[in-house]
Amino acid sequence: MADEVQKKLQKEFEIYNNLKKEYHKAVALKQQLDSQLNENKAVKEELALLKKDSEVFKLIGPVLVKQDLEEARQNVSKRMEYINKEIKRCDGNISALENKQEAVHENLNKLKSNLEHLKISA
Amino acid sequence: MATISSAPMPGMQQIDLSKLNIHQLAKLKQQLDQELNVFQDSLQTLKIAQQKFVESGESVEKLTAAKGKTILVPLTGSMYVPGTIVDTDNVIIDIGTGYYAQKDIEGAKDYFKRKVQFVTEQMEKIQSMGVGKSKAREAICMMMEMKVQAQSQEKKASTS
Repeated sequence: MADEVQKKLQKEFEIYNNLKKEYHKAVALKQQLDSQLNENKAVKEELALLKKDSEVFKLIGPVLVKQDLEEARQNVSKRMEYINKEIKRCDGNISALENKQEAVHENLNKLKSNLEHLKISA
Repeated sequence: MATISSAPMPGMQQIDLSKLNIHQLAKLKQQLDQELNVFQDSLQTLKIAQQKFVESGESVEKLTAAKGKTILVPLTGSMYVPGTIVDTDNVIIDIGTGYYAQKDIEGAKDYFKRKVQFVTEQMEKIQSMGVGKSKAREAICMMMEMKVQAQSQEKKASTS
């Protein structure tokens, strides 16, 4: 009986560790998205400050390609929208993982105390 | 285990340090240490960025003086070819995410001034946050010491 619980405990622990890893990955992803959003914000402000006839270039590979200012502005706005959406998705993912982690954690504790009871009674 | 994970985040809400046990205090201190390290790293990175902006701003100021003069353009680190700058009134600035904008000298100076200011502001923010965290860390250290002392005294009292 104790062996069975032990096995279950091990399995649950593995799940917990995997969840932890996933959680860290999600948090790292969110940080990356955040910094991207910040950079895009700075670019958007800068583009907004430019005069209408200013020339804007975009770096494509090693060359600078001339771009329409209006197009560049729209492009950055669209990118920010996308990143915001990604951040929201990531946030949802993170809170879901948090909940899962907590549930597994509780389960783990239950199994642990179960095992101890069994050991004492054995 | 469960008590540690439910330890409130520092700065999120007021917590009475004297009510926490040594494990919780240690955990909190560890957390604060980590945060302080992140702050330190961020400050370092910001300092480098600030330096770069300042340098670029200085280069722009020197550019107007270079009009008509021959300059040496580095092709590699150890090979240079002579050249002249045709247009010393406009520069192209990397404004981030692969976008470059053409600006006149005044605009460029203004850009770098703004960037330096922005970075400096961020650094100040981080510094003030760091001071707060350092204070919290000190308080936790003191509380930990007090708890350890109290514990050892208890032990003494029970053995004697």
